[in-house]
Amino acid sequence: MALTIAAVVVITQLPTRLGLDLRGGSQLTIQVQPTEKIPTITDREMEAVQTVVEGRVNGLGVSEAVVQQLGNNQLLVQLPGVSDPEQAERVLGGTAQLEFRAQRPGTEQQLQIENQVLQGHLGELAALQASIPQGTAIDSDTQARLEKLQADVKASEAAVAALFEPSTLGGDKLTDAIARPTSGTLWEVVIQFNNEGGKEFAELSKAIAGTGRSIGIFLDNRLLSAPTVNVQYAETGITGGAAVISGNFTAESARDLEIQLRGGALPLPVEVVENRTVGPTLGRDSIQRSLYAGMAGLVLVLVFMAVYYRLPGVLADIALIIYALLTWAAFNLLGVTLTLPGIAGFILSIGMAVDANVLIFERTREELKSNKTLYRSVESGFFRAFSSILDGNVTTLISCLALFSFGAGLVKGFALTLGIGVVISMFTALTCTRTLMFLAISLPQFRQPSLFCPGLDSARPNPVRP
Amino acid sequence: MKLNIIQQRGLWWAISGSFVLASLVAMAISWQQFGAPLKPGLDFAGGTRLQLSRACVTTSSCSGAIDLTEVRQVLGQQGLDSSSIQVLGDDQQVISIRTRNLNVDERTSLQSALDKAIGPFDTSSTQIDSVGPVIGKQLLVSGLLALMVSFAGIVAYLSLRFKLDYALLAILALAHDVIVTSGVFAILGLVLGVEVDSLFIVSLLTIVGFSVNDTVVIYDRVRENMKLNPGGHINDIVDSAVNQTLARSINTSLTTILPLLAIFIFGGQTLKYFALALIVGFVAGSYSSIFIASSLLALWRERTGHAYSSQAEGADPQPETQI
Repeated sequence: MALTIAAVVVITQLPTRLGLDLRGGSQLTIQVQPTEKIPTITDREMEAVQTVVEGRVNGLGVSEAVVQQLGNNQLLVQLPGVSDPEQAERVLGGTAQLEFRAQRPGTEQQLQIENQVLQGHLGELAALQASIPQGTAIDSDTQARLEKLQADVKASEAAVAALFEPSTLGGDKLTDAIARPTSGTLWEVVIQFNNEGGKEFAELSKAIAGTGRSIGIFLDNRLLSAPTVNVQYAETGITGGAAVISGNFTAESARDLEIQLRGGALPLPVEVVENRTVGPTLGRDSIQRSLYAGMAGLVLVLVFMAVYYRLPGVLADIALIIYALLTWAAFNLLGVTLTLPGIAGFILSIGMAVDANVLIFERTREELKSNKTLYRSVESGFFRAFSSILDGNVTTLISCLALFSFGAGLVKGFALTLGIGVVISMFTALTCTRTLMFLAISLPQFRQPSLFCPGLDSARPNPVRP
Repeated sequence: MKLNIIQQRGLWWAISGSFVLASLVAMAISWQQFGAPLKPGLDFAGGTRLQLSRACVTTSSCSGAIDLTEVRQVLGQQGLDSSSIQVLGDDQQVISIRTRNLNVDERTSLQSALDKAIGPFDTSSTQIDSVGPVIGKQLLVSGLLALMVSFAGIVAYLSLRFKLDYALLAILALAHDVIVTSGVFAILGLVLGVEVDSLFIVSLLTIVGFSVNDTVVIYDRVRENMKLNPGGHINDIVDSAVNQTLARSINTSLTTILPLLAIFIFGGQTLKYFALALIVGFVAGSYSSIFIASSLLALWRERTGHAYSSQAEGADPQPETQI
């Protein structure tokens, strides 16, 4: 009872997380292609590419976007509620563009102002995204504000980029970037160029040194960092192909920059190999239709149980409703993302729950027919059905496990909901139905065998069997 | 109602045999036509599917159904003549186009050309599925692997709980269900062009899980009856076990199939064939559990000279379930 109330509280308090196929959005699988220079892709490279992709995803301004590594050379990107999937796909595919650019003369103050404006927009955007509860649909008002802010951010970024001169010193000439601690808690990032890049960087730093202007490090046209160069390099520039970017780096921010730089230096092309996009209204339609269909089917099942199994059927119906509530609460608690196959898995698990009840009742009937007392029949009905229920459920769980470990995406969702459902169904069939049944036979008005098994001769010749 | 499982086993086997044979033939024909036993869908073959619906509320452009020839013209201009087109929806206002795998630029240009010709479309109900060949293969391999692993897992569990021969015969019954379901979809593929996607593999796995459940319930009863009737003939034991569990088998199948039927008839497009596959598989699964798995067990025991149950055989490995 307490569990049921807790379940209802959980359902009302915690939102159900809906998958992209139900709430609308894009799911992209991005494959990293090896090149002649980098024939095998290791975790180090994947990490760098992931950072680049995350940067691009952030640039899209989609709230609750997820980037995950998938296998050895793939990334899974989920973009809930993305309004322009074509743009997203175009932005996410393609090789990273890292560039070192010189700031235009006379723009020192402007850079500061534009940067402040940009930070302001970014802050607002982050605050707005944080205010949207997880897993819920975005209303049109918020959506409009989101889009406006994203446009502002983009305009700001472009304004910042306009303050720098175009350059030929790109990520392909950067060989490495390493974050390292200096003194105390301060960190710095060392960058390393190849021969050609070293020469270009020397020239670039020579032109900038001591002017108060900075070198803009751009990844995909967004400013990562804008270090200035000390006046001591004004004559020769920073030579030797290596440089140190120092400043107010913490361990974390230095490492961020390191990975971003390394990602930008990787000439690894990425390709969008899978795109599954569902429009938001389409998702809503399919969830409604399938839910209504499932509900209708379940109502039929409940009616059937009550008609065929009489009193125990009604009790089982109550247990089934409790079961459905518990399972739903479990999904919310465990943060299961509900997809369309996931709902199918849930409905099927209800079938399993019914089966457990059917097994018990059939067994109870048999015992009643062999002239046992009501109490003993119910008791041994549960007892003897147990091994069948256990075997049946374990085999289903084995299938779920196989599906979950080897399946991808939608298949996983199905296996998860079915698996959780099966476990909870065993619990409710063996506890809830049992408690209700014994409660019922403890009440005199329910203690009639005909309520349990129609057609049974109520004038029983010999109620006790050895 | 009492079924004579053993007496009429020739009949039951003939029914199953002809279904399996028909399924294999359908898959063979399918192999010749599509190069695969079932018509592979987007998930496995790769390609792009665009589903677009007209925005009918805001414009008066939805006067009639979408004209297929217009769509074909647009596709021809884009060099995509070999694509398949379907008009869907109650008012025929939705088109679903399946082409080879398009990159984002090709797709955008196709979409805008279609929009000009028969649009405007409602962007919030657009569906795009684009699967590259690499992913297609990956999905197929992982699906089949999951199927194999769960077969192996079930054999291992059943031989632990029962005996190896029970487990192997249960798997035989499962193979029957999988083949028959695949056969029905091979026929659907040949006749109606129904394709199988990764949800089909999910449905096969679910069928395996449910059907083995059915079989286990009957075997569980066989084992129990052996214990209660030491020295009884296997044929009688199997017969009574099947009949004792018959009401349960039918009721469970019925209660599981009811929601599926509802999904099949009223549910969304995506789940329609998923529900159908499950219905076919569950029916086949109940049949094979009641008629095939049981009679095969009797035959096997008879042939191997274990026709009469012994006390030790019936002994349950889990003592607490004994009364």
